[in-house]
Amino acid sequence: MADDKDVLRDVWFGRIPTCFTLNPDEVTEREAEPYYLLLPRVSYLPLVTDKVKKHFLKVMRTEDVEEIWFEHEGTPLKWHYPIGVLFDFHASNTVLPWSITVHFKNFPDVDLLHCPSNSVVEAHFMSSIKEADALKHKSQVVNDMQKKDHKQLWMGLQNDKFDQFWAMNRKLMEYPTEEGGFRYIPFRIYQTTSDRPFIQKLFRPVSTEGNPHTLFDLLKEMCPDALTKDGEEKRFQVVIHGIEPLLETPLQWLSEHLSHPDNFLHICIIPTPTD
Amino acid sequence: TWGGFYVVGAYKMSDSAESPTETQKEEIHPPPDDSATNDDKKKIDVLLKAVGDTPIMKTKKWAVDKGRTVQSLAQFISRFLKLDATEQLFIYVNQSFAPSPDQEVGVLFDCFGSDGKLVLHYCKSQAWG
Repeated sequence: MADDKDVLRDVWFGRIPTCFTLNPDEVTEREAEPYYLLLPRVSYLPLVTDKVKKHFLKVMRTEDVEEIWFEHEGTPLKWHYPIGVLFDFHASNTVLPWSITVHFKNFPDVDLLHCPSNSVVEAHFMSSIKEADALKHKSQVVNDMQKKDHKQLWMGLQNDKFDQFWAMNRKLMEYPTEEGGFRYIPFRIYQTTSDRPFIQKLFRPVSTEGNPHTLFDLLKEMCPDALTKDGEEKRFQVVIHGIEPLLETPLQWLSEHLSHPDNFLHICIIPTPTD
Repeated sequence: TWGGFYVVGAYKMSDSAESPTETQKEEIHPPPDDSATNDDKKKIDVLLKAVGDTPIMKTKKWAVDKGRTVQSLAQFISRFLKLDATEQLFIYVNQSFAPSPDQEVGVLFDCFGSDGKLVLHYCKSQAWG
């Protein structure tokens, strides 16, 4: 049986085989070959696509190049969402490799935030960690850290350094023993059937009677329609890091082990494939 | 005094909830009583606080649509304060983190609201990193 720490490594090193092709409407000096890359689930597109950008810039004239953006089957991909979440939500049940189209023009302001540099990604990432800690520890743990500790979390993510990241992140996963868990669980539930971006609300890991809440309990409270009723066919999959954890899994355990580096538990509710 | 948000594009603001002067697209409601559940209300109450030498809003309390984004709110504050288009505005929750510009204020209220309102600090420069 896998050790809990092995789960942390498996989550960190998860990869998605991806094929990047240039938008056929871009003006090029010659044909652009597709570019293949394994994308880290836990990272963000701007951090891992420098080589993709360089590859396609080779066939473009500088005057035709504006801010780069990515799209899958017509849907602009939000760079500020973790890559694994984008894949699970948009392309879970499609054939691998994941097809992403690269654009250098007509940036969709309505759908996407601009990302002029990696410092924007850093600011967003650190804000997410702070938001998560506001929920878990009333910000006490993250505020007790020094600036260099915050930097270590970011550098660990940016440079794909598991040990460097977790040396600091483990502090954010601690809680007073008598509490049984965090104050509230940082989570976001993404539903293909909803017009809202995601569900994020206050939810405790332990009930008032002292019983650990499970993934089932969370879903029952936040999106009961995602759950299969007795006798019904299973309409939805509940996906975290590309897998369907057992609904009986304690939420506190999921938060400690299956959160993204931003310390949020990102849960995708997608329709069960009908093949 | 209470103010209300209208549909994006045409901001019609009044300092007093009792005397809006132009045609409204939505009604301004008085502060809701405690018995109403948050899910039933489409608006949440926001209290805006200035940080440092950032100008203070004359009207600090606003009833904002739950689906309004942080970016939209920041643009509103900038326009209200007549800030330069090039000047950035930073918004903070709990004096600790800057929410994503596309985050809905309703979500922030649900998670970080207290005493029936969401307190947001705004600043022309980075205040809490």
